[in-house]
Amino acid sequence: MKKVNKIRMHETMVSYCFLAPALFFFVVFVLFPMGMGIFTSFFKYTMKEFTFTGLKNYTTMFQDPTFLKSLRNTLIIVVGSVPIVVIFSLFVSSQTYEKSAFTRSFFRCVFFLPVVTGTVAVTVVWKWIYDPLAGIMNYILKGAGIIERNIMWLGDKKYALMAIIIILLTTAVGQPIILYIASMGNIDKSLVEAAQVDGANDFQVFWKIKWPSLLPTTLYIVVITTINSFQCFSLIQLLTSGGPNFETTTIMYYLYEKAFKLSDYGYANAMGVFLAILIGLISFIQFKALGKDVEY
Amino acid sequence: MKKKFLSMALACTMIVSLGACGGNANSSSANDTSAVNTEEDAANSADGETGGDSTGTESSGDITEITWWAFPTFAQDTAETTPGTYEQTVIDAFQDKNPNIKVRLETIDFTSGPEKIIAAIEGGTICDVLFDAPGRIIEYGKSGKLADLSDMFTEEFVADVNNDPLLASCKAGDTPYMYPISSAPFYMAFNKEMAVDAGVAEKIKDGWTTADFQEVITALKDKGYMAGSVFCSGQGGDQGTRAFVANLYDSSITDDAVTKYTINDQGGVKALEFIKTAVDEGTLLNGSAYAGGDDIKNFATKLTSFTLLWGPGTQNSNQSLLDDNGIEVIEVPFPSEDGVAELEYLVNGFCVFNNGDNAKVEASKKFIQFICDDPEWGPKNVERTGCFPVRTSMGEIYTDARMKEINSWTKYYSPYYNTIDGFAEMRTYWFPMLQAIMNGDKEPKAAADEFVQLSDQSITNAQ
Amino acid sequence: MKKKLSPFYIVSIILLSILTIIFIFPFYWIITGAFKSLSDAIAVPPQWWPENPTSANFVQLFNNPALKWLTNSILISGITMILVCATSSLAGYVLAKKRFYGQKILFSIFIVAMALPKQVILVPLVSMVSYMGIHDTIWAVILPLIGWPFGVFLMKQFSENIPLELLESAKIDGCTELRTFISIAFPIIKPGFAALAIFTFINTWNDYFMQLVMLSSRSNLTISLGVATLQAEFATNYGLIMAGATLAAIPIVAVFVIFQKSFTQGITMGAVKG
Repeated sequence: MKKVNKIRMHETMVSYCFLAPALFFFVVFVLFPMGMGIFTSFFKYTMKEFTFTGLKNYTTMFQDPTFLKSLRNTLIIVVGSVPIVVIFSLFVSSQTYEKSAFTRSFFRCVFFLPVVTGTVAVTVVWKWIYDPLAGIMNYILKGAGIIERNIMWLGDKKYALMAIIIILLTTAVGQPIILYIASMGNIDKSLVEAAQVDGANDFQVFWKIKWPSLLPTTLYIVVITTINSFQCFSLIQLLTSGGPNFETTTIMYYLYEKAFKLSDYGYANAMGVFLAILIGLISFIQFKALGKDVEY
Repeated sequence: MKKKFLSMALACTMIVSLGACGGNANSSSANDTSAVNTEEDAANSADGETGGDSTGTESSGDITEITWWAFPTFAQDTAETTPGTYEQTVIDAFQDKNPNIKVRLETIDFTSGPEKIIAAIEGGTICDVLFDAPGRIIEYGKSGKLADLSDMFTEEFVADVNNDPLLASCKAGDTPYMYPISSAPFYMAFNKEMAVDAGVAEKIKDGWTTADFQEVITALKDKGYMAGSVFCSGQGGDQGTRAFVANLYDSSITDDAVTKYTINDQGGVKALEFIKTAVDEGTLLNGSAYAGGDDIKNFATKLTSFTLLWGPGTQNSNQSLLDDNGIEVIEVPFPSEDGVAELEYLVNGFCVFNNGDNAKVEASKKFIQFICDDPEWGPKNVERTGCFPVRTSMGEIYTDARMKEINSWTKYYSPYYNTIDGFAEMRTYWFPMLQAIMNGDKEPKAAADEFVQLSDQSITNAQ
Repeated sequence: MKKKLSPFYIVSIILLSILTIIFIFPFYWIITGAFKSLSDAIAVPPQWWPENPTSANFVQLFNNPALKWLTNSILISGITMILVCATSSLAGYVLAKKRFYGQKILFSIFIVAMALPKQVILVPLVSMVSYMGIHDTIWAVILPLIGWPFGVFLMKQFSENIPLELLESAKIDGCTELRTFISIAFPIIKPGFAALAIFTFINTWNDYFMQLVMLSSRSNLTISLGVATLQAEFATNYGLIMAGATLAAIPIVAVFVIFQKSFTQGITMGAVKG
């Protein structure tokens, strides 16, 4: 027992040496301002006043219809994007990984292009695609006889959120595909071949051999995609500003509006803390569900 | 108090981290270097030196450095000229006359500039001089972030401006925070060629009524021209739609004393119903997916036949696009039931942030006085804003008939409500209301009532 | 693998082709848009190919200190990339492969910190950097981004796949901890490292809001900030935005191509290892 402790102490020492540089920047530039942000969420903190109000910001939140609507919209975005991103990127990378180096590179580049292009430029293009008068989406769908009248994709509550999710998807799958392809290199080829010799079918090979070594990457992708979807913001800001009638307002957009348009920081920070707790809980579940098989 | 807490806590962490990034700190901390010229305060500024000549050079040798954040409000020589080029020539002229003041120019943009300002105010990195409009400036003033400009509002100045609503727009209560330079109304614009083709060009003129407007948009639609949109996405340009709604049936956004919102009165609701019907008929376009800039783009590319968001400055910044598309513009006040429009207007002006250094505040005041009132540069600067001077003594600086006519519309200026408490919050309810009405999610009356209730609430929230 | 034309295979090919077009189109549109005048860029019907190609957008861009802006962007993204990769590969490695006191709680804090919106920490951050005297320098953007822990998380996940036996045998051979990391662990996590480098570079490049609140002087702007200052109110110049995005794409693609190789290396590595 004592010996174990000694080894552990040694490991701890070594580990913190390795961690020191990252920790330094993390503590100074993230943890400390984070503390300030959480601290101010208990205050009425605007441009002109700073008064302690306890949990008032948090209780106001749940009586604020716009906040509740934004919570709903945020959840729709998360549910609508995370599973698709994960499944799609796994599908694409496993489909292309075994192909020639050219095919692999090609698809990797294609799906990464929206990321390279940058959000601002991508939204400029999509805004034009969705344009009610001059947009190519209406042009094509009308030409194909699918719709009769021009549809206001971003201005109609029936479509706006979905239209946003589609763009989000195109920008969100690039990184997971890269990661999956990168981590497929770690799959033990000899095991795969051995299994194939033993007559295992594709599905069995995937599930029994490939999946376990993809699990850490999958966990990362699931957690990060969840965080990014919860924090979906710039698309909303650039395309709809939360409209029509708050139908695409997400928590992040509402928070931003409160903080940087109305300088109601206390309330905005309270929303941020709430969002962090919500994401934290969901990540915890994701870690429990996907992290189990990871050796600890 | 909170600042103290911050600094205390920061001090500890900083010692360590400063080592990490050594000598890279640059001029941003230059404020320490400028001497604190306390003897200079108040004394030399009250005499209103309109000439901006260097009477205040007594503390020679001490250079006061101030920073000016400029939105792209001044027109450059050509559309391709680097933003800030003209501003820099103004600064150079000022520095020649005031060698002990150094002005640093930093350009910001309309899309993200307001957010940058808010973050900078709270983060302590705000500029000294800002050129903006009252809607935002007065809010900073109410929050105690700005220097009181009372000493610049001399009797001579007040008498020269001779326009009470305009002067009131520069104040929070009785304290002036913005020194105005120019103003211009917002109005609407039609594509002349399309209007002529539809045979209604003569109807579109100052003094027209809502019935005329109805006739015009119907004729345009029957000719197959796409209507302009009641844009209500994004954030900018909302004043255009507000003025449009208020005018249609002689309602108003607020009461005359600017103490509460009144757009849910009979006329306001009727106007909103008019819009809903027109959208359904196709004589107006549902603008739920269009921001103000999109609507102008549609207009300037011949996609639509009119726009609700126009002004002298808008025309200037879109001139090349209009020329490329061969568009001639008919500019006209918003239609109203009685033919007497009530226009919203833009006031351009400067405010000075109180960064705790009196020398900077005084230097900033001197600088903005130079920009606005210098006999040589004042009129030039006004012209660059594309608007009309607030000082009547400058007379008519534009000679063309078009600008003269627009200048005559200043008689239509309505009570200025952009300085009302909670103005920024009210703006966040306006577009959603229009969207809800045009998309048929809410009845006009219910939507207007809700808007007024929320907006009135925002007045009390902000007090 | 077995090559057969199953319906599943055909469907996936068709699907991939359609998606390919959807994904490539914005990029294509931006590159071609950079060479169109404003009227042509927003013309209806659209010009699929610039009919009157013009370099005016680039000329206008370079009337400004665009080269300086580009350099700033590259410096900010590049330095952040290097420092993030260095700090997080070390941290991620021990989080995955060592057992130490405070490990679980530390990792949880990292995750929760990522869950907290950046907007919440932004205002305190601005006060901090201005207090430190580095506001309006590239370090005001770089240093906070190094602290952002997503790289640590990514490298931890990639380090999970390092076989413990390899590490132990290195220890038996008398390797120091650092040596073990460099010669044993690093080659295995290299694909992840390359991915992290690319992501960090791009994310930093695109972190508009951080740049907006941290940089002010005209000569200190990044390319995205700089292009934004060229826009008038209610008159967006799409050609300029696209020219800016095109310029931005060059270094990003370069970084991508450089690190692209490391994926392949990682892949061969995996095979050798087995």
